[in-house]
Amino acid sequence: MKTYIRYVFLFCIFLFLQVFLARKVDLGFGIQLFLLPLFIMLLPFQTNVFTLMALGFILGLLADSLMNSYGLNASSLVLFAYLRPLIFRTFTPKEGYDILKTPILFDMGWTWFIFSYGALLFIYIFWFFFIEIFRLSEWFLILRNGLFSLFFSFIIALIVQLFFPKQSLS
Amino acid sequence: MQNLFAFLIRFRVFLGFLVLQTLSFLLYFQFVTYPRSVFFTGAAKITGQFLSWENDLYNYFQLSAINEALQQENAQLRGVSFDNYYQLQRPTIEKNDTLYQQSFRFIPAKVISAPVDRRNNYFTINAGNIHGIKKGMGVISDNGIVGVVFKVGENYSLIKSVLTSDINIDVIIGKKEIRGILKWNGMNPRIGSITGVSTDVNIPKWSEVRTQGSTGIFPKGLLLGKVQAKERIENQSLWDIRLLFKEDLKNVHCVYIVNSLIIDELEQLQQSVPKDNLE
Repeated sequence: MKTYIRYVFLFCIFLFLQVFLARKVDLGFGIQLFLLPLFIMLLPFQTNVFTLMALGFILGLLADSLMNSYGLNASSLVLFAYLRPLIFRTFTPKEGYDILKTPILFDMGWTWFIFSYGALLFIYIFWFFFIEIFRLSEWFLILRNGLFSLFFSFIIALIVQLFFPKQSLS
Repeated sequence: MQNLFAFLIRFRVFLGFLVLQTLSFLLYFQFVTYPRSVFFTGAAKITGQFLSWENDLYNYFQLSAINEALQQENAQLRGVSFDNYYQLQRPTIEKNDTLYQQSFRFIPAKVISAPVDRRNNYFTINAGNIHGIKKGMGVISDNGIVGVVFKVGENYSLIKSVLTSDINIDVIIGKKEIRGILKWNGMNPRIGSITGVSTDVNIPKWSEVRTQGSTGIFPKGLLLGKVQAKERIENQSLWDIRLLFKEDLKNVHCVYIVNSLIIDELEQLQQSVPKDNLE
């Protein structure tokens, strides 16, 4: 029960951070900071993929309606949630996953986090910009916005995790 | 039947994924193609209220800058006000002017959300149906064009800003009034691009770009910005002109919605042209 409340609390915090802070940071060069994927990332390992997708959809829909982005975040977060188990399987550590741990930086270490979150965020961001711009003739714009946003979103995900308690979330 | 169930169970994750993706895309196309529906956009009442609270908070830190801009505009308007001119021939000036007819009214509004980092940027303003806003009206600020009204809610509206890919506003460049079409290439919110100008004409740097006013949505001759650079489009005899906007759309606060009193007449006239002659 306590765990559920903790995740509901985190859900609200992430929504707030994305809509009221990350949205307002203006770095130019088409950079957008994406924080919402980190919420889907840090849900426990044993979470059902349907739960992941449903949460991603609801979170995305709420964010979209507050940021005028009409379904872009919802679509990208559902993709992120769908691919999460696949990517986690790809980067399974030698000794397997420990159920007591959660998929965050302090539990899983730098290498694992950089590879799995990096890969998922890469897919998320390029999916987002591809749908938003929707013209292959503007590939340079997609590439520029995507790569810059990827770099800064990753950094901000690391910074946010510094504020987490150092023990496991679950 | 059993095979069908087996199939559904085997691909249940992927099917769930497809359903949710379809829902997201439906939302996207509903936004793009049905301008009347305001669900899940800033023009809806709840989200509009949210955005305006948020804006109140952020505005608090920018009050002095906004004040200064308004003061400047006031000073400028005071300069053109009739009361400040000395009347040379008092009896001839009448208030009920028969020579000039008012063709535009301006409804003031505040921008409560103005993103500039998307490919297509939609702004939210705090005026809607009850203030007389209608879809398709122009939106200007004291430094140029902001956009065109896209969706109208009860109290809030959504503006398709000039920072969208297919805004296509008719403009005129320089003193010779060369015609062109304003677009945005998504790279920099301070710079727009003008197409449709033949390379036959010479366009000096820093020529002023103004609205053409041909569709009646915007008044004619509104200053938008200046020509910063021009480049020949490959394999075409057209200029690709870079326009430096006078307005910094990132920090636009006070806007006016243009209620054109002549647009109905203009449209009626244009519709009366026989279709065959257009070719």
